[in-house]
Amino acid sequence: MQNFDIVVIGSGPGGYVAAIRSAQLGFKTAIIEKEALGGVCLNVGCIPSKAMITATHLLHKAQHDFKTMGLNIKGGIDVDMKTLVSWKQSVCDKMSGGVNQLLKGNSVTVIKGTADFKTTQELTVKSSTGTDTVKAKYFIIATGSRPIEIPGFAFDEKDICSSTGALAFDTIPKRVVTIGGGYIGLEISSYLRKLGTEVTVVEANTSLLSGVVDPECAQVVARKAEKAGIQFKFGAKAKGQKKAKDGYEVTVEINGKDEVIKTDKILVTVGRRPNGDQANIKGVGIQTDDRGFIKVDAQRRTNISHIFAIGDICGQPMLAHKASHEGVMVAEIISGINRVYDAKTVPAVVFTDPEIASAGMTEAECKAKGYNDLMISKFPFAANGRAVSMSETDGFVKMIADKKTHILLGVHIVGPEASNLISEAALAIEMGARLEDVALTIHPHPTLGETMMEAAEATLGHAIHIIQKPLGGAHKTATVTK
Amino acid sequence: MTDIKLPELGEGVTEGELVKWLVKPGDTVKADQTVAEIMTDKATVEVPTPVAGTVKELLFKPGQIIKVESVIVKLESGAAATASATTTTAHKPSTPVAATQSTATVDVKLPELGEGVTEGELVKWTVNIGDTVKADQTVAEIMTDKATVEVPTPVAGVVKEFKFKKGDVIKVESVILTLSGSASTTAQPQAHTNGHAAKSTTTTTSAAPTLMMASTTATTAAGIFPPVADSKVLATPATRRLAREMGVDINGLPGSGLAGRVTREDVLSAKGGSASVTKGTGTGAVSAGTPTMNFPKPAYNSTNAALEERVDLVGIRKKIAQNMQMSKAVIPHFTLMDEVDVTQLVAIRDSVKDFAEKNGTKITYLPIVMKALIATIKEFPMFNASIDDANSQIVYKKYFNIGFAADTPNGLVVPVIKNADQKTILEISKEILDLSKRARDGKLKPDEMKGSTITITNIGSVGGMYATPIINHPEVAILGMYKIQDKPVIKDGQLAAIKVMNYTITADHRLIDGAVAANFLKSFFAKIQNPGVLMMGLT
Repeated sequence: MQNFDIVVIGSGPGGYVAAIRSAQLGFKTAIIEKEALGGVCLNVGCIPSKAMITATHLLHKAQHDFKTMGLNIKGGIDVDMKTLVSWKQSVCDKMSGGVNQLLKGNSVTVIKGTADFKTTQELTVKSSTGTDTVKAKYFIIATGSRPIEIPGFAFDEKDICSSTGALAFDTIPKRVVTIGGGYIGLEISSYLRKLGTEVTVVEANTSLLSGVVDPECAQVVARKAEKAGIQFKFGAKAKGQKKAKDGYEVTVEINGKDEVIKTDKILVTVGRRPNGDQANIKGVGIQTDDRGFIKVDAQRRTNISHIFAIGDICGQPMLAHKASHEGVMVAEIISGINRVYDAKTVPAVVFTDPEIASAGMTEAECKAKGYNDLMISKFPFAANGRAVSMSETDGFVKMIADKKTHILLGVHIVGPEASNLISEAALAIEMGARLEDVALTIHPHPTLGETMMEAAEATLGHAIHIIQKPLGGAHKTATVTK
Repeated sequence: MTDIKLPELGEGVTEGELVKWLVKPGDTVKADQTVAEIMTDKATVEVPTPVAGTVKELLFKPGQIIKVESVIVKLESGAAATASATTTTAHKPSTPVAATQSTATVDVKLPELGEGVTEGELVKWTVNIGDTVKADQTVAEIMTDKATVEVPTPVAGVVKEFKFKKGDVIKVESVILTLSGSASTTAQPQAHTNGHAAKSTTTTTSAAPTLMMASTTATTAAGIFPPVADSKVLATPATRRLAREMGVDINGLPGSGLAGRVTREDVLSAKGGSASVTKGTGTGAVSAGTPTMNFPKPAYNSTNAALEERVDLVGIRKKIAQNMQMSKAVIPHFTLMDEVDVTQLVAIRDSVKDFAEKNGTKITYLPIVMKALIATIKEFPMFNASIDDANSQIVYKKYFNIGFAADTPNGLVVPVIKNADQKTILEISKEILDLSKRARDGKLKPDEMKGSTITITNIGSVGGMYATPIINHPEVAILGMYKIQDKPVIKDGQLAAIKVMNYTITADHRLIDGAVAANFLKSFFAKIQNPGVLMMGLT
């Protein structure tokens, strides 16, 4: 029997952050993890996929841009998949080890094992060394989510894979069918394609990333992916697969007609589901909704007042940085600080080629919120010196503002380093910045960041580096309602 | 200097009466040493200090009612302060907000109920004292001329105090209840630990850890205002956080900044002026829990003080006094007395003595009488009822929790056999023995003395032919059982010796008529006189 003030279940980007902040606040804290520290994010999600994307992006550059730049590689590039995968693994291990050090440095007790609520007061933790009971005054559930499995495509993580299996491929598959054209499927498909795999993406919707990102941004990615040779089957439903002489045959239904696609590996990335059915969460009376998300209030408190839930398990968006934000918040709430989840925006990034990133609302969301009079404009990377010099000119920065007040409501970027550019937009939106605030802030030259300033200018109607209509007084701030 | 607070005393217990101090200023105390005895509803609880030190100041006098979480002792920490003491202080710098707001309460007012409606009658509370409520959660049902309205709380918190009782007519805008803190951090855990607490007879063992948490978590005052993210309020994240920490609802603030931004200054001045959080209006004296009836309090003027001793009326004695006074004032009592032939009953009880001993217990008449009583009140449900005066309703209970009066050195207590209808006589016997012993030792938990639906008083073992007991309000009847005696009777023209036992049934005449009580006793006697009849009905 071990006794703590706070026990965090799950050590992903929500859990370990919550544990560290809890310990910083003076609580006797433990964290329970059944697999590797860092959870999905560090071990089989964000981090390893980024490692693969970085490596294959370099490969792609070497194959396509080097020659133009006069850099000739004699005899071509040889991809040693085993080394690549072990390098990827070393990145994960470094991150996971870092989490372990941070937890130790903050005197957080790390318990390895699978936790199940026995009562609302205590957990049973099963591990290879036995079963222990852990009691705490507060619990923070951060047990995350897992890939959704669809009928007929049970994961074996060798041939029929979730993202976890796909990230572990140690040979380059010849053919892959990706079921589900969401961000996870697209990220993996893109890098596999760069390694030479023939990729077919089967998507039930009629476009990529629909409803998730700005449609124009998605279009840029779709066009480039098609050009890179990825096959798309839209409006297609995966019906089943069977083992063939060489590989598999996947049957998809398009417009009521069945079509068979031959492949070696099948990647199923149709989304993730919360792990609300684990850890005996429901058994002790913690309420979940019909999709398995734990029901929480604005403080991320469950129906049981000393139990909190953060991250994927408590609702959309299922993003690591949202989980971390909630983790810090919940620890502070337990310590007595009055906080609620009060972020205007959770920026989202998709590491496709090119990257997509967004903060704030899409045009449709603005309309739904009652912003009827909008200012919307785009600034293309093709007009940005740094982007041209990087030979990465696909994409644009799109801004949406309220016409009455010029207050920034949404920023959608598709293009090089979109993931790194979006933070400025998130800050601007949280601060309630207006287009002028962004436009009048000096952005250093020559950088990709200038596109933010230019996009703000463009939305005001007077960007320098694209041709816009005569100003007609639009540049005067006085026209803005206070 | 360390403040020692009154820890949680048990589920739903919000206050206790200080019986006595076990330390005095200047004493050196060890961690876990008992410093005070506190009496809750019925149990006396020993309160330990979680840390060692020297007693500097005692903040209450015996007889005073102390709310849970109140500071009771100021301790000068010695060098031997324990780990938990250092933890307590370590927390302080990191939670300055908690420290400044820990005592804040929020008044919840009765909102407008409709056009032209100025008042409403409280039908019921839908929450209990100590409950954690969310913003917008319904806390009460109020009946107006035309409709019953659910009244929500605009802010979250822990229900601290009800200002009205059921049936009260409340004017719009009156404060109906007060909320404190945010999450009741410990009430909930406590609720579930009963099973484990059973081993230790009082909740004192859990006091120390609770106390440590309390200093850091009694927190969050004020309200948890809705996030601004969903609204069109313009304020920077830092300003939003400031407002929250100051207990100001930024959603309602006019912004003086560009395009209506709420600035830092707006928040600061809102707090200085008419902040949206109203502090509790200092509730002064706290009532002792049960009835708030106004009884005359005549003084006793001594004529011979030298030969008199004055002792404070506190603790269980005071509780008994209040309960008896209230019951006698509220309930029109009447008592019916009779004797019954218990020759067979005595024989049966004698015949199972050895059997009971083998099963590790002792069979007295009480559990058998209990079974006969249950069988009878099943026929006469009005004896297993309560009168809800506030709502002018009779509450018939479909469960059978039998209280039995137990004499203890401290006075009368009434432990309860819960769901006695579902237990065997053997089980009930064991439970009676256990409860009686712990009652004498003053170790009963409050829960074990709650919820009885009818009570049996058994002074037969002491003496007296008959008594007129007082009903244990809110019950409506009490059964008295008295000594068994040999008595000569004429049976079939012959003189015979039988055993008789006297019984009384005392009932609430508002609900139970004399003839009904007579029939009740008749039916009860049929079972006592011929235990075979009782057996026929046993499940």
